[in-house]
Amino acid sequence: MLRDLRRALSRERVRYGAADRTLFAHDASVFEGGLSGPICFPESTAEVQDIMRIAMQHERSVVPRGAGTGLTGGAIPLGAPIVVAMTKMDTILEVDIANGVAWVEPGVVNLDLTRSLSELGFNFAPDPSSQQVCTIGGNVANNAGGPHCLAYGVTDAHVLAIEVVLSSGDVVTLGSVRGESLGLDLRGAFVGSEGTLGIATKIAVRLSKNPPAVRTLLLSFSSMRDAAQTVSDVVAAGIVPAAMEVMDREITNAVENYVGAGYPRDAAAVLLAEVEGLEGGVEIDSQRIVEVAQSNNAKSIHRAESEAERALLWKGRKTAFGAIAQIKPDYYLHDSVVPRSKLADVLESIYEIGARHDLMVMNVFHAGDGNLHPILLYDGRIAGELERVHAAGAEIVRACLAVGGVLSGEHGIGVEKQPYMEEQFSSDDLDHQERLRRSFDPMCRVNPGKVLPEGHSCADIQALRSIPTGVWG
Amino acid sequence: MTGPIDLLLDPEALNGCVQCGLCLPHCPTYRVTGEEALSPRGRIKLMREVQDHGAPVTKDVLRSFETCVQCRGCESACPSAVPFGHLIEQTRASLVREGISRSALMRIALKALEFPRLLRLGTAFLSIANRMKLIPKQLGLPARLPVRQPAIPSTGQDVFLFTGCVMDAWQRDVHAAGARVLEAAGFGVTPTNELVPCCGALHAHAGLSDDARRLAEKAIRGLSGDDRPILVDSAGCGASMKDFGRMLDTEEAKAFSERVFDIGEWLANHLDRLPEVAPLDLSVAIQDPCHLRHVQRVHETTRAALSPFVSTLIELDDDGLCCGAGGAFMVLEPAMAGSIRDRKCASIERSGADVIASANPGCSMHLADAGVKMMHPMELIDRAIAAARA
Repeated sequence: MLRDLRRALSRERVRYGAADRTLFAHDASVFEGGLSGPICFPESTAEVQDIMRIAMQHERSVVPRGAGTGLTGGAIPLGAPIVVAMTKMDTILEVDIANGVAWVEPGVVNLDLTRSLSELGFNFAPDPSSQQVCTIGGNVANNAGGPHCLAYGVTDAHVLAIEVVLSSGDVVTLGSVRGESLGLDLRGAFVGSEGTLGIATKIAVRLSKNPPAVRTLLLSFSSMRDAAQTVSDVVAAGIVPAAMEVMDREITNAVENYVGAGYPRDAAAVLLAEVEGLEGGVEIDSQRIVEVAQSNNAKSIHRAESEAERALLWKGRKTAFGAIAQIKPDYYLHDSVVPRSKLADVLESIYEIGARHDLMVMNVFHAGDGNLHPILLYDGRIAGELERVHAAGAEIVRACLAVGGVLSGEHGIGVEKQPYMEEQFSSDDLDHQERLRRSFDPMCRVNPGKVLPEGHSCADIQALRSIPTGVWG
Repeated sequence: MTGPIDLLLDPEALNGCVQCGLCLPHCPTYRVTGEEALSPRGRIKLMREVQDHGAPVTKDVLRSFETCVQCRGCESACPSAVPFGHLIEQTRASLVREGISRSALMRIALKALEFPRLLRLGTAFLSIANRMKLIPKQLGLPARLPVRQPAIPSTGQDVFLFTGCVMDAWQRDVHAAGARVLEAAGFGVTPTNELVPCCGALHAHAGLSDDARRLAEKAIRGLSGDDRPILVDSAGCGASMKDFGRMLDTEEAKAFSERVFDIGEWLANHLDRLPEVAPLDLSVAIQDPCHLRHVQRVHETTRAALSPFVSTLIELDDDGLCCGAGGAFMVLEPAMAGSIRDRKCASIERSGADVIASANPGCSMHLADAGVKMMHPMELIDRAIAAARA
């Protein structure tokens, strides 16, 4: 099989050394797969087709991968599959301003796309915190969100059409750049399918116009409850900010150590709120947000005075997870969504759960849409710590579900939240999801063992049988 | 392939990496290959595999470690401040110790840097041979090396101007320009010449840590008994000399490092002493040398020093990504250095600048080889002052 793959691509673009196979065993999460099979770096749709056909011929599974910044183990190899790294397919193929659409390859980096559009006055709206490194293909797979998705919607709202290589090796185009697709919205099914339906090889994204005016507010509070209440009250007042992000004291200090953006270090919580739109409107909205904050005992109110200051504040927010090693070498990041009105209560239970398990918990989250990212800090070298983290994590997930929350806001299910799928969905729901998946990939050859829990996932039977080291080649 | 090797890396520094991947786009070798193994996150993971899990140093592992340009762009990008530069230097030093690195061969080549006269003589030979087209182009020698250049005169006792090794042989005209600018600001200049033959930066990068320490000690001895500032017009040398304090961990070395300034950094703090002249009618884009931007972190001072002397300063749009020079990297990894340079050249092209200013000789040579019009910021300031006097 290695020989076939190398013939189809090239020797350099099919790697099978122990070093590479180790590197591709994990993503940015705590989950480790086994050693991967061969790692392929295709450069065209035709090469992805070849890989799929070779995989079928040799009855092997395939795992697509972007920049490896996923947080749920969605791209880790289970059962030594062929890893298809899309990072070399990173060309912006066509920008059509008149029709507000761009065709890109999946390996294009999110921020590179927005930067290349900035001269033209446009952007790609989904802005995950990892946008400087994550790929559009990965955004599609996870239906990624980001701070500014509060106003503009997540990736699904910004993807018009997708060229997909199915597990058979056939190519189909889902959706249409000319508005609504005819028939069922299979594009919609593909976005967020975490690589389990096929591999995207071209993506048509919607271009968004840059706003004429932006106001960024940095508000601080003496209690997390006041910050959470402000967020809830702002939305209840009918204001739709572009973004509302909250960080607690501990993470704010770690971030401030790195960026020095002027985040207050002594507040229990800071709220970064941004409004965009026409000059007059943003002025009024930002004033109203300030009033709401004041009525919730805001400790300090600051407006970003320059684009440079604004950029620095956002750089801080968007690098928050990476700053954690200043405090502990490992972290486990959750991603659940709760109704905004329940934010304050749930946050209190999260801190309480952390304390009970003797773990440090930090919170940094997309407050505007109730998307929590509790972070449990630990040191993986200390025996038993990760087990405590998992136990606390399970309690946190259940606490969120109990108030009507959902399992994932934007990171996906991957392998991380598989065990909780049965708590969110009925057995019938899961069976139907599995049928949808099988209609794309009857043998469950693409990214097996992810998303759907065992018992509702075909796969897992044959694709995951473990392959001893050295079988390839 | 080898048996288990202890890379002697500081476990705390290694554990500082949470594998978030925010460094990836700031790594030139990842940018041009998309390969995890050629990214800082991948390299750190492989260091852990070798150091903590006894993984053998295979051909692929060696490739991962040896292709690092050591630009340290990943350090500016890392929210957890992982000291990647020290990790990769120590990794290479351990590989040299085990005798499984090409750096052992480099030791012979780098030996020449310690003998300035020999270096200048060799340069003259090379220059003539090159003009007679006897040198293969892929060696990447600058198109016109100087045959002979006048020595930098000593004009006073206010500051040292560090002249160094290759730069003094190949780009002494930059030193001369820097010296004139310093004089125009009223500083008497003492060139370091034979007092400090070489700062040892290339040795340290190659993992030849014994040589690097020996040269650092020699430099400190050469300029001891004195507290004059030491000004450096090569970003790589400046970064290395500012690191002597950490590397040697002695009071003397720390005091020495405190005296080291990039020449642009020094002038930016003494702008009022420079003559007010009409700016050159040029649009100049600044190419930040990595060791100025990511290691010394004083790249803003180049702008402060240069802006009064040119009509337009332009920023490149690539977030300070490396140009691919990397000291010896452009010679050892010419293909990858070329791909990285292509990205930089595309950014330069988009900027529409007349001239690119770079405060590092390696970057200048590497980019000039691709046909980019390069000047040192000091040459631009010198020219503006000279034009006003003419």
